[in-house]
Amino acid sequence: MSIFDNKKETNETYRIVIFLSPFLILLFLASLQILNLSYFNADTFKTQSESNRLYQSKIIPQRGFIFDSKNTLLVENNIQQDLEINPSFIENPRIFLKQIADLLELNLNKIESDFYIRATGKSPNEPYILIKDLNEKQIAKLSVNLKKIKGAEIISSFSRNVIHKEIMAPVIGYVGNISREDVFNNPELSQFRSLKIGKTGVEKDFDSILRGNMGYRIQERDSNGKLIRNISLEPPIKGKDLRLSIDLDLQKKLFSDFKGRKGALVAIEPKTGLIRALISSPTYDPNLLNTINDYEEVKNLFADKDSPLFNRALSGQYPPASTLKPFVGMAALEAQTISWEKQITDSGEYYVEGDERPYKGWKEGGHGNVDMKKAIVESSDVYFYSLAYDLTINNLSPFLEKFGYGKQSGLTENEAKGILPSRKWKLGYIGEAWFKGDTINMGIGQGYITATPIQIALAYAALANKGEIVKPRIIEKVGNDSTEKVSKLSISLSDNKNWKRIEEALLGVVEASNGTANNIYDRSIRIAGKTGTAQVKSIGETEYKFLREDESLRDHALFVGYGPVEDPKLVVVAIIENGESGSAVAAPLVRKAINLYSKNEK
Amino acid sequence: MRNSPLSFSVNLKIDKSQNNSSQFDYWILFSIIFLCSFGLAMIYSSSNSLEMTIRQGAYFFLGLIGMLLLAFSNFRKMEVFYLHSFWPALFLLIIVLFFPSENSKTSRWIDLGLFTFQPSELMRFILPISAASFLTKNLKTKMKDMWLVIFVTLICFYLVVIQPDLGTSIIILLAGLLPVVISGFPWIYILFGGFLATLSLPLIWMSLYDYQKQRILTLFNPEADIYGAGWNIVQSKIAVGSGGLFGKGFLNGSQSQLNFIPESHSDFIFSVIAEEFGLLGISILFLIYGILIYRLLMVSFYSSNKFAKIVSGTLSIILLAYISINISMVIGLLPVVGMPLPFLSQGGTALVVNLLTIGIILSLRKEV
Repeated sequence: MSIFDNKKETNETYRIVIFLSPFLILLFLASLQILNLSYFNADTFKTQSESNRLYQSKIIPQRGFIFDSKNTLLVENNIQQDLEINPSFIENPRIFLKQIADLLELNLNKIESDFYIRATGKSPNEPYILIKDLNEKQIAKLSVNLKKIKGAEIISSFSRNVIHKEIMAPVIGYVGNISREDVFNNPELSQFRSLKIGKTGVEKDFDSILRGNMGYRIQERDSNGKLIRNISLEPPIKGKDLRLSIDLDLQKKLFSDFKGRKGALVAIEPKTGLIRALISSPTYDPNLLNTINDYEEVKNLFADKDSPLFNRALSGQYPPASTLKPFVGMAALEAQTISWEKQITDSGEYYVEGDERPYKGWKEGGHGNVDMKKAIVESSDVYFYSLAYDLTINNLSPFLEKFGYGKQSGLTENEAKGILPSRKWKLGYIGEAWFKGDTINMGIGQGYITATPIQIALAYAALANKGEIVKPRIIEKVGNDSTEKVSKLSISLSDNKNWKRIEEALLGVVEASNGTANNIYDRSIRIAGKTGTAQVKSIGETEYKFLREDESLRDHALFVGYGPVEDPKLVVVAIIENGESGSAVAAPLVRKAINLYSKNEK
Repeated sequence: MRNSPLSFSVNLKIDKSQNNSSQFDYWILFSIIFLCSFGLAMIYSSSNSLEMTIRQGAYFFLGLIGMLLLAFSNFRKMEVFYLHSFWPALFLLIIVLFFPSENSKTSRWIDLGLFTFQPSELMRFILPISAASFLTKNLKTKMKDMWLVIFVTLICFYLVVIQPDLGTSIIILLAGLLPVVISGFPWIYILFGGFLATLSLPLIWMSLYDYQKQRILTLFNPEADIYGAGWNIVQSKIAVGSGGLFGKGFLNGSQSQLNFIPESHSDFIFSVIAEEFGLLGISILFLIYGILIYRLLMVSFYSSNKFAKIVSGTLSIILLAYISINISMVIGLLPVVGMPLPFLSQGGTALVVNLLTIGIILSLRKEV
């Protein structure tokens, strides 16, 4: 019995060991796995654990301010509170968005569509802004409830605010998100994602200066995205401020005279090349684009057939019309195909030998016998038809090129070149040979030739400077550094007296009783200038095609002038689209600009 | 029968020898106190909740008193009580299915107002003792009794499976079947039973809930769904691995402190230990567990009493099963099932039951 008992006991112990062994083996395997994890792969897991909790985020720098020439603030940054979301912390987007919509009393559909639109192209770990510019009530509600909502946070950001909106829009431009195309053109931008960059105007041209440097912040967050603490911080560096050459006062007063009419105005200091006023009308509110809150509004803006976003002052290509005549005259004088004294009979029409077609002057019956001065003062077409015919295109084009026609002014890369036609140009672009008739039309600034307002202003600045060509500038100071005047080649004439004589003729336009702009005659400040009436039907750039279709075919009114002639302080060109007569609508603007500016300077 | 003169005389002899040495196994007591105190510290570290820690501390205190009471109780007098306590345990197991605690998705807990407790935990403690008592009521265990215990065990198993609580149901199965196989269930039947169980695997798979299937699938490729089902395993592995040799220090484990490990205070507490104390901490933990289990097994090995042998053997194996399965699941060797780490994981019922288990084994020690 005792032996039997003993045997049985050992049998039970034996069985206990057997049924214990699977778990011992399991524990042994587990030990191997633990050794594998925390000894052989510890470094890998340490890195993973770090990246689990550490989040690097960018801190957007404040963009540089923009001031006018008298240090009046033009562009500032408003601080706004946005709702930023981090998709990787959102468990159920539908519930999440519903919570947000209910809390902020916003339309759920709109938030949902924004959520999906803005999420595209981003990595799931990249936070982005879902709702911009929260109001105080929303902020209060959010700050109470945000703890319960995973993946959302209120962050402050800057919104660009152009203080004088429409008035300054063509100069300043607007900012926007970096597009794929932007990165393609400038790969350096890829590190600035989530930053806004200048899209047009000064914002674009001086973006790298205004932009500043990104700051970086490393934060420790828990698995719910809750901020635990900041680990390190590299503060952002604010962009440099810019001081424009624009005189806000002048700009404002001139802008008010446009009264919604289409057109442009450029006022440049001829000696320095500083632009004091630059107007393009119609215009837009750049803040709409700086902080896009309403896509519909933006869509309308881009679809507006009056193209308010188009900068007419820099990129509007108009026939220079009669404003070109002084240069045609000078070219003929240089080529010695005419003299100041030689008279031509203007009977109102001009005929070329072997051609029945008359080239008509603007004045019925003509101006009678005209010499160069009278031809400029009264703006005789027939006189310049004849001049151009004798001069030929081969002499005319190169001379005009010296004054900047057909070339960008150098202010920005984003302006039009205008068209300075030549035989080669016509063959290349139109595919036809050059006709004599083309030269005749060009003699009065019509036909193929087009110029931008700033080109016309610069050409006249060269007249005011007696040959010195200056590069236009719109920035006076970057940070604390002043920009410097750049002057290009000086134009030399075979007879330097010609500068003075042309000026006298241009003075006559305003001061002689038969001058075409006699209506702006004012004894106190003497202005030299030239009227022009551009035929709409000859505008030929793609952006403008719809204008021709939709608008009436009334002519564009032009006037360009400088003054005071004794010491020219300002060259001003004004173009009013469909304004008919240059003297009636454009000349008074130029007079106003020069008067205002001269008084201010004193 | 145990009241036979033979077994009496044997007991007497051992009693004498015990008087020479210590009546009480201090190895076991100290490892228990160490493990539980360490557990309290880790619960605080992973939950950052003093309330939860104090609550667990209270359970520890209660359990310790219960353990000591049992340890010094006269086991012989208690045996009849253990045998019949199966019935109230079964009753509670049924009750919980109909009146589960309201703030839980599964019907595992009974809400007693002041605290909640898990009848399945009670059952996995009562079942082996009651089964062993039933099986040893005759000197030679009868086959009929064994079949009856198997049948009853399967009923209990089923009751826990439908709660659902896969982890504890496995333990219930062990708790009921181990006394049977230890007491001499024929090997041929055991092998045949294992064969049947293997065959029924597809059937079991089909009866699993989706989340349970997901857990098993996740085991084989946790990286497939890092933010979903694989989250637990991936994060827990990161925690264990990033602990390295010496760990990140108490309260310094970023994985647990920043809540990357779910259930870090209960089932996944091992990964918190590994993260904060590293390989060194784990080695010490294993050492303490080793001492505990060794001493518990010794009770079984040296006992001449069949009942004591079965009970202490079964309870020791269950303890080891808990430890090995929990750790394997935390480091991604086994699917995630609800199975706490004994004495360390947060959970009042489990702690008290584990302590009572030790108390029983300590009292059986006197039977050696």
